[in-house]
Amino acid sequence: MHGNYTRRDLLKAVSAGALLAGARLGRAAATPAEPVAIAKCKTYDPAELMPAMARMFDQIGGLGRIVKGKTVSVKINLTGAYTYRLGYAPLGDSHYTHPAVIAAAVSLMGKAGARRIRILESAWATTDPLDEYLLLAGMEPRDIERAAPNVEFENTNYLGKGKNYSRLMVPTGGYVYPGFDLNHAYEECDVFVSLSKMKEHATAGFTGTMKNCFGMAPVTIYGSNAGVDDPAIQPGGGRQPFHTGYRQPSKSAPQEKDMKSSRQDGYRVPRIVADLVSARPIHLAINDGVRTMTGGEGPWIREAEKVVNPGVIVAGTNPVNTDAVSMAVMGFDPMADRGTPPFETCDSTLRLAEDVGIGTRDLKRIEVAGAQIKDVLFDFAALRRERRARLPQGRWG
Amino acid sequence: MISGLTPFRWPASWKDPSALALLAGTPFDCLVCEAGAAPDPVLAQAKQKGLTIAGPASPPAGALIAEGVWPGVQMARGQAAASSGPTGNPWVDSNGWKIRLESARNPASRVWVDAKPKDGRALAASYPRAVADAAAYGGRWIVTLDDQLAGDIAQGKADALAVWKRIAGAARFFNDRKAWSGYAPAAVLGIVSDFSGDNEFLGQELLNLVARTNQQSGIILKDKVSASSFAGLRALIYADGKPPAASLRSQIMAFVQSGGTLITGPNWGPAPGTPASGQDQPGYAWRVAGKGRVAFAQEALGDPYALANEAVLIVSHRYDSVRFWNAGSAGSYFTAAPDGKRAVVHLLFYTDRGATSVTVRVAGNYRTGKLWTLDGPEPRPIEMDLQTDAVELHLPTVSQYAAAELEA
Repeated sequence: MHGNYTRRDLLKAVSAGALLAGARLGRAAATPAEPVAIAKCKTYDPAELMPAMARMFDQIGGLGRIVKGKTVSVKINLTGAYTYRLGYAPLGDSHYTHPAVIAAAVSLMGKAGARRIRILESAWATTDPLDEYLLLAGMEPRDIERAAPNVEFENTNYLGKGKNYSRLMVPTGGYVYPGFDLNHAYEECDVFVSLSKMKEHATAGFTGTMKNCFGMAPVTIYGSNAGVDDPAIQPGGGRQPFHTGYRQPSKSAPQEKDMKSSRQDGYRVPRIVADLVSARPIHLAINDGVRTMTGGEGPWIREAEKVVNPGVIVAGTNPVNTDAVSMAVMGFDPMADRGTPPFETCDSTLRLAEDVGIGTRDLKRIEVAGAQIKDVLFDFAALRRERRARLPQGRWG
Repeated sequence: MISGLTPFRWPASWKDPSALALLAGTPFDCLVCEAGAAPDPVLAQAKQKGLTIAGPASPPAGALIAEGVWPGVQMARGQAAASSGPTGNPWVDSNGWKIRLESARNPASRVWVDAKPKDGRALAASYPRAVADAAAYGGRWIVTLDDQLAGDIAQGKADALAVWKRIAGAARFFNDRKAWSGYAPAAVLGIVSDFSGDNEFLGQELLNLVARTNQQSGIILKDKVSASSFAGLRALIYADGKPPAASLRSQIMAFVQSGGTLITGPNWGPAPGTPASGQDQPGYAWRVAGKGRVAFAQEALGDPYALANEAVLIVSHRYDSVRFWNAGSAGSYFTAAPDGKRAVVHLLFYTDRGATSVTVRVAGNYRTGKLWTLDGPEPRPIEMDLQTDAVELHLPTVSQYAAAELEA
């Protein structure tokens, strides 16, 4: 193709690129920048965790102004089947949001006056209640349930307790989908919290509070075994159609905008995440990096390597800002884009979310409270370089 | 008197009595011979050596033969992927439930499972698993070689002899641990039925499918219910087509009154107890009776898969006795000594490659443990993570079978 470009074509392309970059710069300057708090926390011992998280929430303006008198939905991250562990490590130490962090957040929200708190996740391939799924994962749901009044759990991978799916549209029109049909709990809330795990991601480069929302989509509509016309009754399998676009969601849901768009997962997944976060805005973003794993989002990833102890939690009211600070804590440049770690083979979800005005990823515009990035830096980027130099390319390429 | 014999199906290709020498040093002391499979000289010499001769339809005293399945992950022929159950999990064939049912029905006999290698050929790794899949549950597999392996063993091929040695070693392993057969199932969920007639399909499939969930179940023959039948159980399923007889109803309701859970449906007759609120299980109405509760199905119980999985949720995973991570397709059988201080958890791994970095959570206050495998005569250490009312076992890489022997 390159060989067929005329000088005029080239000038057009350069001008268009300059215009796009200029537009991005303009939008970036206008996108929200809210304070982000960093807490040092080496363990999940509530004696250390609770005051660290309380202080962090105070630093971003206090939980009361966000949750008081409100119904709060908290999307946690239980990615993949509960049967996988990284070695022998409990799931909360590697790739699931740790239950102690969930319980601490719930407790603090309860104390701040939350009226009702719903813990949400799309449990892998089952209609089992979420609290039962937590038990299977080796976690104690009672510690979460008893942390505040009116705590509920809901498995959002199917219709669940709702009578209908809720349609949430993307205000800006969407990159891939104009809207989504989700479990009712994502709509029937005043406040939406993304409580994620700080990790790398094999497809999207980085997992934070935004990528966590990929799991909002019920596989009864968006999964490999989704119904063709209407949602399936039972969830089964994963969200491969999101990755590769090999099939469309159930016809009852909004369909993909452009079937001729790229089918590459590194193109699609970041855009779909940006669409989901646009459709279901996040009011509070919390990223658990006390203990986590390197090399990917779960033990099934070929590059997955080990449990590490960065000893950090990041929280903010803007998910792009929060994820930008989280990336920096991990040693990655949040301004990086495709071709640069951790986005070697994918687009940056942060850049895409910034482009649609959700928030800035520019650290110069984000006020960091509590610990500073340099003080808590845990260099996933260096570990990634070292690992990729050591492992055969088949493990990561 | 339960038979202590160890059965081996004489291969039809072993025509020469000299093949009997292959049995030297093995535990096989009973030849199961198909009609015409063993020539008269073979039979004569076998008898001279003190071996017992039996047929597939004529087991020796103290043994009964049950038709079984080749244990393992069910693979569709010519396909790379395993066949899947309704949730997409690979479908596992095991003889455990059948051995336990036949043993309950015939306590004076040892159950011998008659299962030939699928499609006439088996992978080497699957033979020890076939031995363990029967013996872990108190039965014995009639060791049956595929034709190729039998021929290669007879010819003295090294690889085949190594497999033969492993099969014999697996059989000996269980023969050497007779005390384990005195351990009783540490069940959580009891299934009450006669498992026959109109109740055969639902009752037997329930046993099979509850076992797949790794929930530990008890088999309760409804004509043999005693005062101790429900001891230690958290819940009972009564799914037989007709209402229970008055005495059985009374026994089951006494269990509920004292705090147990009954899972039943319209087959029971009028719903027992009084309506309860605050509990949720789609398809069931909750009722209370004394200290216990009843999950009463709103429609007739007929789908064993649904019932097995609903029952596990009604009991709650909180009370799972055994839970696996990184185990692939695995099965378990949790048995405890009469004093309750010692337990053996049989762990079966149905994929041919075995399992790595497996964690097993076992409910109970066990504080020491060792791991037995078919790979060596000595136990292997297990890393144990002691928890409140449970212990997590971090297993070394294991092949198709391991037994965790635990002490409180």
